Amino acid sequence: MKANQSIITRISATISRVENLTGLYALLVVAVTVIGLVTLPFITYHDDQLYPKTLDPDSTLDPYDRGGVPFGTTLVKAQYPENSPFVGYVTAYLTPLSQWLADTTHHMGTTIVAHPGGIIDEILYNTRGLDTVVETSILFVAFAIASYLFRRDA
Amino acid sequence: MFNLPTTNIGGQELFVLEFGDIVNYFSPYTAVLFVFALLFTALAIVSRPERQVDIAFGGDAYYAKEVDPNLLRFQRFMAIACGLATLGAMVSGDVFNFTLFASMVGITNIGIVAAYRNRHVLNAAFQYGIVAMLATVPLFGGAAIVLASTGTLSMWELFTDGVAVPLIAKAFLVLGVMGEGMAPFYVAKAEITRAQGAPFILMVHVSSLLLFLRVIEIVISM
Repeated sequence: MKANQSIITRISATISRVENLTGLYALLVVAVTVIGLVTLPFITYHDDQLYPKTLDPDSTLDPYDRGGVPFGTTLVKAQYPENSPFVGYVTAYLTPLSQWLADTTHHMGTTIVAHPGGIIDEILYNTRGLDTVVETSILFVAFAIASYLFRRDA
Repeated sequence: MFNLPTTNIGGQELFVLEFGDIVNYFSPYTAVLFVFALLFTALAIVSRPERQVDIAFGGDAYYAKEVDPNLLRFQRFMAIACGLATLGAMVSGDVFNFTLFASMVGITNIGIVAAYRNRHVLNAAFQYGIVAMLATVPLFGGAAIVLASTGTLSMWELFTDGVAVPLIAKAFLVLGVMGEGMAPFYVAKAEITRAQGAPFILMVHVSSLLLFLRVIEIVISM
């Protein structure tokens, strides 16, 4: 690059290279993050959360324990309860295997070993069920790409 | 039961689709984007790939490039998946659901371009993949800040006047969608469009453009 080029020419020459794309985007992220750090003291945590979370380290289902009785009327908060008429019905239900794991071990009852997703969480599977569908779709697509790239002849 | 809080941006609501707490809405704006995405998804399903021909200058010679059936099948699958993710993102009425669809668009876009063997295309796809992976941090960070500072994720609540969404959350959302969809970064796309397979490559552009239009609507409405 010549020294007497205009500043605009130099900028456009830099950002027209694909190799600089990641750096450029990282620069943008850093700039916005710095602005975010400056404005962080002005952001207040909203106490009335739609999806509240309480941690009970003594529970065998620790991070996912929402309490309640299966097939009873467990209180589960929802944005639009009229859209989920049966919310709270199967929360805290454990299959016999998961129940056994939860009784005998400390955290295994919540894992995928117990059954997919551990305990049935109504926020995951009922009120926000579409999110779970999209998440698994993302995983499926990612595995499809990886398997295609891995299996195609070199 | 559901009435759009802001009708001056997206227009009057036409139809509401409820998935529990996630309530998708069709306003004239989102419905047009939805139809546009649907049209291109249908095109990706029915169309046959273009057959590129390189002409050698100064002679009669030309090279017809072959279309690998396996590549074609995979790219069509990815283009359809990308179209479905775009359809979901266009009408989503929930911030976290929207970010999920946006990241799915990013991953399927990587899938479309990463299947090629051209070195230039793969080089661009590599850079693009890094940016798309990096973009998930501001994307989901934005959604997390929205949830923490307002207590809800539903756009029906966030679009009302009483709820103030921090500016940084909006900036993170836009930044994340920029990275996932690559809407402003046409540098990498110029390299990517060298690749053959016109209808499937088009899906990369259409999805990123539509995602960007949608995130602008969300950010202005919030």
